[in-house]
Amino acid sequence: MENMTNDVMLRLTQIHKKFGDLEILKGIDLELKKGEVMAVIGPSGSGKSTLLRCINRLEEIDSGKIEIKGRVLAQNNVDNVAEYVSEKESRDILLCTGMVFQQFNLFPHMTVMQNLLEAPVQVQKRKKDEVIPEAEVLLKKVGLLDKKDWYPSRLSGGQQQRVAIARALCMKPDIMLFDEPTSALDPELTGEVLKTMRELADEHMTMIVVTHEMNFAREAASRVVFVEGGVIVEQGPARQVIDNPQEERTQAFLKNML
Amino acid sequence: MHTVVLMLEGTQVTLQIFFITLIFSLPLGLLAAFGRLSSLKIISRFMEFYIWLMRGTPLMLQLLFVYFALPMVGIMLPDLVAALLAFTLNYAAYFAEIFRAGIQSISRGQYEAAKTLGMTHKQTMRRIIIPQMIRYVLPPVSNETINLVKDTSLIYILAMNDLLRVARTIVQREFDMTPFVVAAVFYLIMTAVLTWGFKKLEAHYGKYDK
Repeated sequence: MENMTNDVMLRLTQIHKKFGDLEILKGIDLELKKGEVMAVIGPSGSGKSTLLRCINRLEEIDSGKIEIKGRVLAQNNVDNVAEYVSEKESRDILLCTGMVFQQFNLFPHMTVMQNLLEAPVQVQKRKKDEVIPEAEVLLKKVGLLDKKDWYPSRLSGGQQQRVAIARALCMKPDIMLFDEPTSALDPELTGEVLKTMRELADEHMTMIVVTHEMNFAREAASRVVFVEGGVIVEQGPARQVIDNPQEERTQAFLKNML
Repeated sequence: MHTVVLMLEGTQVTLQIFFITLIFSLPLGLLAAFGRLSSLKIISRFMEFYIWLMRGTPLMLQLLFVYFALPMVGIMLPDLVAALLAFTLNYAAYFAEIFRAGIQSISRGQYEAAKTLGMTHKQTMRRIIIPQMIRYVLPPVSNETINLVKDTSLIYILAMNDLLRVARTIVQREFDMTPFVVAAVFYLIMTAVLTWGFKKLEAHYGKYDK
């Protein structure tokens, strides 16, 4: 049996991040357990996307500590400035994370199947023939197996985003990070992407989802974190935070969302 | 008939300069583009200077410099090598700017997606960025390549018998304008083949577009 500490997939301690003079994250503490689905909500510019991007080093923190599956990615030195592990170790630690972007970011010069195979073959050095059946299972799961030889430009936004999810999953990550995955989609296309994400949640994938979709947060997330002004204002079980927020700022935000 | 044989020989010299310049200047241009984009100030400044120097002076002057000035400081190069050196350095500078623009036109999201999939910077460049860049740079590279076919005629100043110089020699000797017409036709054939080739390449690299 795994002990308690092994259950913590991600631990953030006192994360601070500035862009120039602007302080975006002002001391964030967060812990994510295995199988948890965490929805991060908050107004634009609150720092929620930056927070997500700090986890997988798309942005680097100024101070604080990041631990992923018990391995330290960055921590403060004696001067209270965050220091990262080597590029190589960092890449290794982050292999257990997958990310889905607002703008999909599929590789346009590769077919759907090639998009899925690229990282397992190039990064994990796995044999193509071995990955193809797994990729097919994933594409079937997101309902796009019949499009496997298509180039991304021929797919709708919703289809592209589902391919992007399958591409991330093909690396067999333990934590999936979603950065406003439906914000760039036409309203009628968000449903298919949310459905895919909900299925993932039902399979107990550990997920952090930065989102404006309150219904999704309420239904699919196990925990909701409300971020504003670079701090966590309130967090708790999804329904409790969304249906019965305790903090005034959360109440004001949610009122505006409805 | 003898005229055509001589001119075909001239064409051979032209094509030789053309192909060897292309083979060296394309990769050199890519390297220079990476140097120009390097975060190391010394490298990017140096590349900026090199590109400014090459684009800011006439190719003819560069040819003369390599041919006449270098021997004065003790660097003796065979005619062909001197010509190739000047052409390659000059064209690499132009290609560098084209490649730089191509690389910069790829969105940040592509780098980020590759990074979150665990790809190294080198893998990202080789597998994701450069293949996409090629598609964007094909039209301007095609332009420069066609320019190069015609620029090769500048080597007449180095007394090398390229297509145009052969034509001129015959015209002056026989008071007959036909060789100029033949030369024009030869250049047109070469550029037509290039245009066709680049069209094929563009179709190949553009197949993933709608």
